[in-house]
Amino acid sequence: MNTAPSASCTATPDGSITFDLPLPPAQGHQLLLRLRPGKGQPERTLHTLDLEPTDNGRVRAVLGPAPLLEEGRWDVFLLRGGDAPRQRLRPGLRDLRALVDGHLRDREPPLAVRIPYVTTNGCLAIRAWLRPAHAEADGVDVTERTTTVGARLHGTSRRTGAVVRLRLRGGGGVVHTVQPRAGDDGRAFSFTLDHAELVAATGAASGVWDVFVQPAADAPLVRVARLLDDVADRKNVFVYPRIGVDGAVLRPYYTVDNDLSVEVKRPG
Amino acid sequence: MKICFLLHNAYGIGGTITTTFNLAQALAERHEVEIVSVLRHRKQPNFVLDPRVSLRPLVDLRQERQHALHLRPARVFPRAEYRYGQYSELTDRRIRECLATTDADVVIGTRPGLNVHLALEAPPHVARIGQEHLTLDNHSPRLRGALRRAYRRLDVLTTVTEADARVYRRKMRLPGVRVEALPNSVPDPVLPAADNSAKVVVAAGRLVPVKRYDLLIEAFSVVAAAHQDWQLRIYGKGEEHDRLQKLVAELGLWNNVFLMGAAAPMEAEWVKGSIGAAASNFEPFGMTIVEAMRCGLPVVSTDCPHGPGEIIEDGVDGRLVPVGDRDALGAALLELVGDDERRRRAGRAARENARRFAPGPVVAQAEDLLAAAVAARRSGRRVARDRARAHQVAISQGFAARDAALTAASTVRRTIRRTRG
Repeated sequence: MNTAPSASCTATPDGSITFDLPLPPAQGHQLLLRLRPGKGQPERTLHTLDLEPTDNGRVRAVLGPAPLLEEGRWDVFLLRGGDAPRQRLRPGLRDLRALVDGHLRDREPPLAVRIPYVTTNGCLAIRAWLRPAHAEADGVDVTERTTTVGARLHGTSRRTGAVVRLRLRGGGGVVHTVQPRAGDDGRAFSFTLDHAELVAATGAASGVWDVFVQPAADAPLVRVARLLDDVADRKNVFVYPRIGVDGAVLRPYYTVDNDLSVEVKRPG
Repeated sequence: MKICFLLHNAYGIGGTITTTFNLAQALAERHEVEIVSVLRHRKQPNFVLDPRVSLRPLVDLRQERQHALHLRPARVFPRAEYRYGQYSELTDRRIRECLATTDADVVIGTRPGLNVHLALEAPPHVARIGQEHLTLDNHSPRLRGALRRAYRRLDVLTTVTEADARVYRRKMRLPGVRVEALPNSVPDPVLPAADNSAKVVVAAGRLVPVKRYDLLIEAFSVVAAAHQDWQLRIYGKGEEHDRLQKLVAELGLWNNVFLMGAAAPMEAEWVKGSIGAAASNFEPFGMTIVEAMRCGLPVVSTDCPHGPGEIIEDGVDGRLVPVGDRDALGAALLELVGDDERRRRAGRAARENARRFAPGPVVAQAEDLLAAAVAARRSGRRVARDRARAHQVAISQGFAARDAALTAASTVRRTIRRTRG
């Protein structure tokens, strides 16, 4: 790892990422993006980017809005051409300031998000999301009795018959439905979860509810998540309080994929 | 010049290590520079060191932790020093040999115990610079007593603030020793500065009680109440994490206040913000304040001893508020949050004013100090002429007597505890 070059990167509001490497220009050098395969699975999806010389004697590669990166974690490698083994890159400065207020820009379908981040073993990688439509969670208001979530649709809009559906994970199709309230325009909405109702619906064991919105009566479900800023791993940063309800503990939280879920935990 | 830094452990993480590496690398442009690390516990330093600077460990803990001499307590390194437990007869001996055989023109100690070694053991022809990265008032009376005796044999003593230099001159009479403030330097930022439009306040540091992130979070509640779209991001990790997370929950600030975890380097995080914040009760220097300002952020800070007041110009490139004053801290943040033009103006001033902490000016000052010390050694003079008046001597003798009394009292208390125990 110590000999791997470092790459700094800059993100722009449209999702483009420019990689900058302190290497002299050389023929045939490229960056390789690889969708990290599941354990024991072969590598399926790869993209290469050409490294072009810059004015200051370094090299640069641009990942434009196309191609659409499949949802997942993309590792970044340097290819030196020929038989040279590919090399992971160390992270340089990641200038992601253009992403910080990304939730303020309405997106067209499909929703494509990329956030450069540093893996647990210190390498540069990209977290990507690709969804036909998206509901961006904003403020989450937690009281003793209720949780109210404000959200905004991207790539679709709310029509008659819109409902919020919470699906019990591993619950064989158990769904808890609540009615959304309309916001300022066809995209904004909010909904309130009654803690006692949700705990009762969870049954005797612990459970996790994944939160979706169905923007119209016949429309596919859209996951409620928080994807439109610079935070690649939100789970331990955006932390909501735990509330005791009828002997259980309820807590809204973000999953490892930054999706919004509600955990209901029973003691023992 | 050949310059040698004497550092506790170049393989760890911390402000003294960062600033020593920065200074050593800058001096290496024109001089031969070596860092001697008393201890080593891993293969590579955490920070990449310029290859022009050589690094030499004295005791390698990976092999010598159980060395017979390392199990015996140190006798030269002062007992009252914070790091005493990590020093031993082995470190005493290796440091002595290192100093006796050095071919450097000047050796720079970087913490009190190492300054004592330097003062007592450097050969007569070698110039002796002691650096203090903490403050005199923060040392125990016993340590102050030990330093008072040893530091007279230094040529130059540097503090990180003028305020601490004044305290040294007042409370510790060191005839012939030049006492001067040499601030830490912060490298030139690589990224474009913040444009002060982002609705984000940024703070960074270890999550420990002295940093008072609890006060900062409480203060931020007035900002969040008036401006729901503003965030406070706190970078760093430490023992206070869970307590701070609980405080965020109690105050209902989970949509606005975020404990981001550690980030190194911080530069890309500073530029995401528009205002920097610090709430410490005590800050010998205030490296993060300078970092934030160099990235174009005005900084709101408590006016604690000693750093912030020498970095921030109140009302121009940031705000200084009384220590521990939640309402004043909140009001000062609110003032900058609520006024875009004022924030931009203060941000520009911050960037301009923090240039004095760039490596260039700081290194030039360090070079002058080193050259003066080396020249004085060569000619057999002291670096500073002693101009102390009788009443100044009396004042410093008063402080010496008080430290001696406090030390004696604590010895008595310990003896009583032992007898009872």
